[in-house]
Order: sequence, then C-alpha cells, then structure tokens
Amino acid sequence: MTAGLSEFGFLALSAALLAVGLFGVLTRRNFVLLLIAIEIAMNAAILNFVYFAGFAPTAASGLDGQATAVVLIGFAATEVAVGLAIVLALNRARGSINVAEATELKL
Amino acid sequence: MVLGVLIGVGEAFFPGRTTNVQRLWLHLPPAPAWPNGFSLVMGTLVDPLSALVLIVVTVVGFLVVLYSIGYMHQDRGLARYYAEIQLFLAAMSALVLANNLLEFFLFWELVGVCSYFLIGFYYERPSAASAAKEAFLVTRVGDVMFLLGIFILFDLYSGAGAAGGWAANGFVFVHNGAPYLQGLQSHSTLATIAGIMILGGAAGKSAQFPLHVWLPDAMEGPTTVSALIHAATMVAAGVYLLAITSVFIGFTAFDDLLIVAIGGFTAFFAATMAVVHADIKRVVAYSTISQLGYMVLAIGAGFTSVGLYHLFTHAFFKALLFLAAGSVIHAVGTQDLFKMGGLRRTMPLTATAFAVGGLALAGIPPFAGFWSKDDILASVYSVLGAHPDYWPFFLLALAAVFLTAYYIFRAWFLAFSGEHPRAASLPHAHEGPWTMQVPLVVLSALAIGAGLLGFLPGIAHLLGHGSALSGIANIPPVYGLPQIGLSAVSVGLAGAGILVAWRMWGNGRVFTLAETSAAQPVRRLLLNRYYMKAAYDWVGAGAVYTVARAADFVDVYVIDGTVHGFERAFAAFSDRLRRIQSGVVSDYASYLVVGLLIVFAILLLVAPFVLDHLGGG
Repeated sequence: MTAGLSEFGFLALSAALLAVGLFGVLTRRNFVLLLIAIEIAMNAAILNFVYFAGFAPTAASGLDGQATAVVLIGFAATEVAVGLAIVLALNRARGSINVAEATELKL
Repeated sequence: MVLGVLIGVGEAFFPGRTTNVQRLWLHLPPAPAWPNGFSLVMGTLVDPLSALVLIVVTVVGFLVVLYSIGYMHQDRGLARYYAEIQLFLAAMSALVLANNLLEFFLFWELVGVCSYFLIGFYYERPSAASAAKEAFLVTRVGDVMFLLGIFILFDLYSGAGAAGGWAANGFVFVHNGAPYLQGLQSHSTLATIAGIMILGGAAGKSAQFPLHVWLPDAMEGPTTVSALIHAATMVAAGVYLLAITSVFIGFTAFDDLLIVAIGGFTAFFAATMAVVHADIKRVVAYSTISQLGYMVLAIGAGFTSVGLYHLFTHAFFKALLFLAAGSVIHAVGTQDLFKMGGLRRTMPLTATAFAVGGLALAGIPPFAGFWSKDDILASVYSVLGAHPDYWPFFLLALAAVFLTAYYIFRAWFLAFSGEHPRAASLPHAHEGPWTMQVPLVVLSALAIGAGLLGFLPGIAHLLGHGSALSGIANIPPVYGLPQIGLSAVSVGLAGAGILVAWRMWGNGRVFTLAETSAAQPVRRLLLNRYYMKAAYDWVGAGAVYTVARAADFVDVYVIDGTVHGFERAFAAFSDRLRRIQSGVVSDYASYLVVGLLIVFAILLLVAPFVLDHLGGG
C-alpha cells in the first residue's frame, strides 16, 4: 500500500489521534484547546476513510472514501468556524472561555 | 299513555287483530364471535298478559299524575318529580311490552332506579335518603339473582339443541303452547336453580319475604309515588315476571312449592305487621306486601291468570287506598293514625273512597278484591288434593283474610270515625282540589267494578279464557259447592275482622293493651317488624363493614403501598439521576465516551457470544 507505514502503523496512528483528541476533550477547560482536541479526534476518522479507501474492490469505489475525506475536511473547517464564533460570543458575554463555568444551559 | 290504553283495550276487545303482535326493532343475527349462536333481539310483544298489565299501568299512571297536580303543588322540585314519574311510566310500559328476557331486565333496572329517585324525592330528609338507598340495595340483591337466573337459562337453552335454541333466538317470548322447560326435564337441577334465582328477583321487586323490608320504608317518598310505584305498578313487576316465566319458561315442581310457600307466608307475615303500626301509609304498605303474596301464591300454584287477575284489581283498590291516605295526609299534615279521628265529617269523599278501597281489600262482595282473592283461594284449594304440601300456606292465606279486614278497618275507624281528631293541634281538614277528587272517584268506581270486569268477554279473554294463554296458564276453576262454601268462609272471616276492628277502634274508641298483658312481647315483636330490619342492619354494619374494613386495609397498605413504593423509588432514583446534568460540557463528553466504551464492549464481548450460542450470523 502506501509507502512508509504498515497496516498496523496506519491504524495505530488513527487510534492514537482519537485517543489524544478524546483526552484533550475530557481534560481541557479552555474552549479553544477543546476545539483543537476535537479537530485531532476528527482527523482520526478522516485518516481511516483515506486508508480504507485503498481496500475498495474497484478504483471508482475507492474514490468514494477519498472524496468523503475531502468533504470531512470541509466539515471540520466549518465546525471550527462555528466553534470559534461560540468562543467569541462566550468571551464577550462572560469574559471567560472556561467551559466548566459555562453551565447556564442546564435545567 | 293514551296509546297504552288503546293497545290494552284493543287487545281486550279485538283479540283476533292484536293478539301476540311481535315487533322487532333491533335484531342482530348470530355472529361467529358470539357464543352458541346467540343473537340479540329488541322488540315489543303485545299479548294478553302484557295488555292486561298495560291497562293497569296507563290508567293508574294517568290518575296518579292528575292527582299529583293537586297533591304536590306546594313542593319544590316539581320538574324533577314529573320527569322522574314520566321516565318511570315509560320504563314500566316498555317493561310490560318487552319481548325478551334481556330487554325485560333492562327496563326492570330502569323502573328500579326511578323508584330510587322517587323514594328519595325529599332527599333533604335523612330518613328519605336512607330509605331510597335501602330500597335500591335490597332490590339489588334480587336483581343480581335475576341476572344469574338469566345466565343459567342462557346456558340451559343455548345452542341449537335444547328447546330449539331459545337463547339463540335472543330469549324472545313465543307462545307455542307449552313452556320451554317441558322439554328440559333432564336439566331439572339447573332449571330449579334458575327458577329460584328468578323467584329471588321477583321477591326483591315485589317485596316478598325475606326481601320485603324495603317497601314499608319506601313510604318516605311522596304518597303519589307510593300509590303508583309501590302499590300498583312497579311492585307488580315482580309478579309479572313470575307470570311470564311460568308461561314462557315454566317452573319445576320444587320451584312451584317454594313460590307457594313464599307467597302464602308473606301474605300472612306482612298482614300481622300491619296490625300494630300507627302510620297510615305503612299500614297500607304492609297490606301491599300481603296482597302481592296472594298473587305469588296463585302463580306458584299454577294459576297465572288468577294471579294477574288479582294484580289487576289490586292495582286499582290499592292505588285508591294510597290516594285516599294521601288526601288525608294532605289535609291534616300527619301520618299518625292516633292523631286523626272524626275525619269523615270534614272529608266525606275521602272517607267513602277509603272505605270502598278497604272493602275491596278485605274481600267483601261485590267489591273488586272479593272476586280475585276468592279466585286465588278457590284455585289453590282446587289443587290441594294433588299437592297436600300446599295446605299450610293455604291456611296462612286464609288467616290473612281475617287480618286484612281487621287492620284496614282499624285504620279507617281510627282516621275517620269518632267525633273529632285526637290531637287538638290538627289543622281544619278539608277535601283537596278537583284534581285530587277526580282520581278518587274514578278509582272508587274501578275498585267496585274491576272485579266484575273479569266477567266481560274482553277482559276474560285477557285472563286466558279462549285466548293464547288458555293452553298454558290454568284459568280459574269452575264454581261449585265447595268453592261457594269457601267464599262464605272467607267473607265470614273478613266480616269478623271488620267487626273486631269496630269493637276495638270504632266510634273514637282506642284499644290499649295492658302493660302487663301477655300479648305485649308479641306487639313489640310486630312493631319492630320481627327484628328483621335490625338483623339486616346488623349484617350490614357488622359483617359487611368488617369485610369492608379488611378490604380497605388491603387497599391502603398493600395496593397503595406497592404503588406508592414504586413512586418513591422512582422519585429517589430520578433525584440522583438529575445530578449528573451538571451543565459542564466536558462531563457530557465523558458520559459520551463511557457510552462509547460500553457499546464497544458489547460489540466485542457480548455480541460474538450471543451469536455463537443462538446460531445467528
């Protein structure tokens, strides 16, 4: 397959990215760092799409996985844009971007 | 009402045209989902039986409503009163015209509930409210038995087998010459039980022993209601039920004996209680129970048409007695006989009417009661040879003749004879308005003539001579020397009763039983109505209340405890659960991850295991 990394290497990289992202999501209190962690976790999914596209039975269907990866990169960018807008609004409203303090939405 | 009279009179005088007219207004044919090919039929049947009772219901109903206009004019709630009376009359007519047992039961319940409403008309009075409840509950005992009887009959007659699948026919009454039971002797045990159940229903409605306790208390209602419902019509529904049952279904020999026993015993038993009571309406009420006992006796002995003949005459003279009593109560404002006296001077019409009703009740010829009561005695006498076990009840009924004459004239002498009222506080009595007088006059005429009406070809036809009934219900026996002798005996007894009443109570005399007399305990026993009401109260308060308390305990601690326990458990659990909603995003994220791990765990560990063992894949 692709040069440089073995099959295990790809999956391990993907799992590591997910683990790092989840760790960041669970531990960070800073909204910006949280967004970055989400991006990292999302990249694990995108990497899987790219990697498993190579196993497709035909070349045409292999393009599906790669195309999905490109779309997901677009999604990730959109999501960051929305997330940063929330960060700005949060900062403006509360003067802080600590997610642990923003609990007004609970019932 | 007019229609009812037309139907009844038409039936009487144009038998060929109207006999046994069936009209079905609802017929649901047997459906696969219904058991044993049962079908549901609603309709009307006009036959001699129903025509006779229909005449009674409509004529007495009309007169009583007319009387109410004068009698009730100062009461509040008249709209309610007339609505309930009309509902009652409609239900009673429909009951009489019902062409099957289920429809009969439907209207049977409807007249029962009307009776409840009207007894409780003065519902502000606790005694009236409790009398209404008592009437409803006691008759309910009978109603439940009646319903069970219908169930048993349904079971006996369902399917295409026995008696042509009577239940499959929707219980519709058909005159086919013989009661259905004749084809069913093999089921005689069940048939006997069904008969007992139906007798129970009739005893509840017609206030026969041991379900008679409600009728005297039902006198709490307006007197017009007592006259219409509790003398002439509704209480006769029980007798009518026995009559149609004996014609269309038939009773077993044991049932017949039981009916004779209850009828004969009640006739005597109720008469003894009427002897001592001081309330004019209660005296008349006990006499109603007693007379209904005579009808039941006749039907049990197999003389359906004789029983109905007495029902016919009794309705008129008993309604007359009640309306005359109502006229007295209306005038003097009390029901206590010992406060009245000398009223014949101020109320001559009422005094005459009550006397006519009393003579009819006592069975003095040629008044109505003589013909029908003598028919009953002669009929029962004629079968004594074949049924020697009827003897005691025949003798009881004969003894009741004496008591009847005594207590009704005791009431008459106390109220009407003498010089002046015993209680000085009584207002000056006067006759009621014309609406009250006209019914008294008409009913007096009927109380004199209704017995002779039985000799008219039309009425005689209704009573079974030469009609569809003649093959089914025994018609009165031919009068021979023994019957005339019997009549002489019963008239002699009645005359003696009147004479004794005159000696003890006539002309303002008041007979006082010495305190030391040996008869005092008997008097107290009678005044307390043989302690039967007390016994029922004891059963109600003691036994039923204990059961009710036990049920209440189970309800509060077991059922409610379980329910509230669940409620508390869920409340506590959700109280804990809501704490996990912290509002902190990263907390939610960690729940998400935990959930994800659980899903992974299921996929990796549980799913392969399950698939392996269930052979899926």
